[in-house]
Amino acid sequence: MSFVPGLGIAKGMALTLRRFFEPKATIKYPEQRADVAGKFRGRLQLLYDEWGTLKCETCFQCAQACPIECIDMGGIDTRGRYHVHWGPPETYGERREESALRRSGRTVPDPAFRPYEPIDLGEVDRILDEHDYDPAHMLAILEATQEAYGYLPVAALKRISHRTGAWYAIIYGTASYYGHLRFEPPTATDQAAAVDAHRPAESTYIAALGAALEGGGRAGASAGA
Amino acid sequence: MTVVSRGWNRLTLPGKFLFILVPLLIVATAALLILITAFGQLAIDTLAANLPIVRFVVAATVILLITVPTAFLIIYMEMKIIALMNLRIGPDRVGPFGSLLSVVHGLKVLMKEDFTPTGADSVVFTWAPVVVYLASVMTLLVIPFAPGLYGADLNIGLLYFFAVSGLAVVGLLMAGWSSYNKYSLLGGLRAAAQIVSYEIPLTLSVVGLLLLAGTMSLNQLVENQQGWFTDWYIFQQPLGALIFFIAATAEANRTPFDLTEADSEIVAGFATEYSGMRFGFFFFAEYVNVFIVSALFVTLFLGGWNAPFALPAAWQVQLSLDPASFNIGLLFIIALAPVVLTLLFGAPFWLLSSRITWWQALLIGFVLANLFIITLAVAWAYIGLNWVAGILWFMLKTYVLVFTFVWMRGTLPRVRIDQLMGFAWKWLLPASLLNLFVTAAAIVVIGR
Repeated sequence: MSFVPGLGIAKGMALTLRRFFEPKATIKYPEQRADVAGKFRGRLQLLYDEWGTLKCETCFQCAQACPIECIDMGGIDTRGRYHVHWGPPETYGERREESALRRSGRTVPDPAFRPYEPIDLGEVDRILDEHDYDPAHMLAILEATQEAYGYLPVAALKRISHRTGAWYAIIYGTASYYGHLRFEPPTATDQAAAVDAHRPAESTYIAALGAALEGGGRAGASAGA
Repeated sequence: MTVVSRGWNRLTLPGKFLFILVPLLIVATAALLILITAFGQLAIDTLAANLPIVRFVVAATVILLITVPTAFLIIYMEMKIIALMNLRIGPDRVGPFGSLLSVVHGLKVLMKEDFTPTGADSVVFTWAPVVVYLASVMTLLVIPFAPGLYGADLNIGLLYFFAVSGLAVVGLLMAGWSSYNKYSLLGGLRAAAQIVSYEIPLTLSVVGLLLLAGTMSLNQLVENQQGWFTDWYIFQQPLGALIFFIAATAEANRTPFDLTEADSEIVAGFATEYSGMRFGFFFFAEYVNVFIVSALFVTLFLGGWNAPFALPAAWQVQLSLDPASFNIGLLFIIALAPVVLTLLFGAPFWLLSSRITWWQALLIGFVLANLFIITLAVAWAYIGLNWVAGILWFMLKTYVLVFTFVWMRGTLPRVRIDQLMGFAWKWLLPASLLNLFVTAAAIVVIGR
């Protein structure tokens, strides 16, 4: 295009004049609310019940429903016994300390993360190989694993998730759904029940304590005795 | 507790005010009436005997008073128009369509601390904004707003205009020097350099027009341009008009030549140390300057208060409406016209749509009747009063130009200082000289 002096100025002026008459982009916020996006599923929020305890049961339904898989959660499950995590196990919470160390140069403790004890993974690998690493056979795999180890160790579940590609949370959900699958060694649960059964009553203990202190104990203790 | 104090205490606060104010008002009105009857004729005679002085005082006062609303209006226009060009809405909270926002800005500036830096030359520091503002306001004195509506019809009006607007440079230098701040001083010198440089092409661009017109009286210049819009000087002096426009942009410190302030880049140059209303004066002077420059351009090149068309005398409507000829009927018209018109304009809405209730129809009728009456009054004033027509055309043209200045500010980027100076000396000055010589040669050849 040939050079015409002032053409650029004229073009620019024409542009701003066109903009002058165009509809405006501003949304007058308090009077006029922006449209809610079609994908919007409501606000994510952790709710507490009337006693102040967290209502979240770590069921992972929200994470499963999330269309862009942005929901992530980690920690121990509601019974305080098991470390759970949504998503591929090798990416998130398990490597959190490592990545924090790399980024900040110092260790960052994660109170929610409880390391699980390592086990011999040979049995799991064998079972997985037998089932062709097929996540559709999850129940069979889990049952075989429980048979091999006596319970479902965390490390074994991680291994299964890693090898089959099934989400850890789905494996956890499957395992926790069936009553015959357990996460702790049967000895531990049996022992706890046995201890509870043979434990002396509280009042007996307090009476013995009061006697040992020769009446110097609590007032209620002597009355109970 | 006496009866008086008990009665006083029972009054509410507005009641206490009214109790004092109402008798005071009655007494003052009575005193005024007595004074008018006693000395009214004397005062009128005295004023009539000294008409030029009265005219000057009134003109100076009015011009000083209209600058502030003008500045408010142009500041509002600037905020709103640039916002609209940026696809924003702009001010919309204070007043209708945010039109009072600039007033709020003015009050804000007024309420801020009026700060003088330690070491500043406080006298010069105080007077600098006054000089700048007065240089702007005084130029308005010679601008003819309408036939017969001007401060003074000087026979050297244009020269006076350039001389007085040149005073602004003094004010800027005073501000820069007295601030006791090297950046202010640099800003003041830079502003002075720019304005002095552009004053030369600005003045030279008009000389060709003066050769054509043969007068420097702005009023006479406007009268020379009477007739159709083709008689305007812009068609005889297009180059001169272009140079004048560009140089005037630089004179008024407007984008793309607003290096003296350059809000987004440097700290307001010469006004760095100013705050409060003293800064406000600089700020207002800038916007008054925009109006003045537009008004001068309109006066010189766009026919001033002349309408762009001249209807043949046969077409012109002659209104000889004497309100007194209605006698007592005038009272009835004044009393009944609003009611009748409201009913008349409201009736169709009530009859045509069953959704509109009677009071909505009345409201619509009232608004329409008011619009009708206002339109009628303006039309009557336009036809019957010469100066109303003149001021309407003058303001229309001036504010179109003001819009152009704001439009340019919304569009053009700022030039560099060397581009600014180079453009003035290498392009505008030769071009204005060329314009002058060509005009002079044409006058000699054609022999006007």
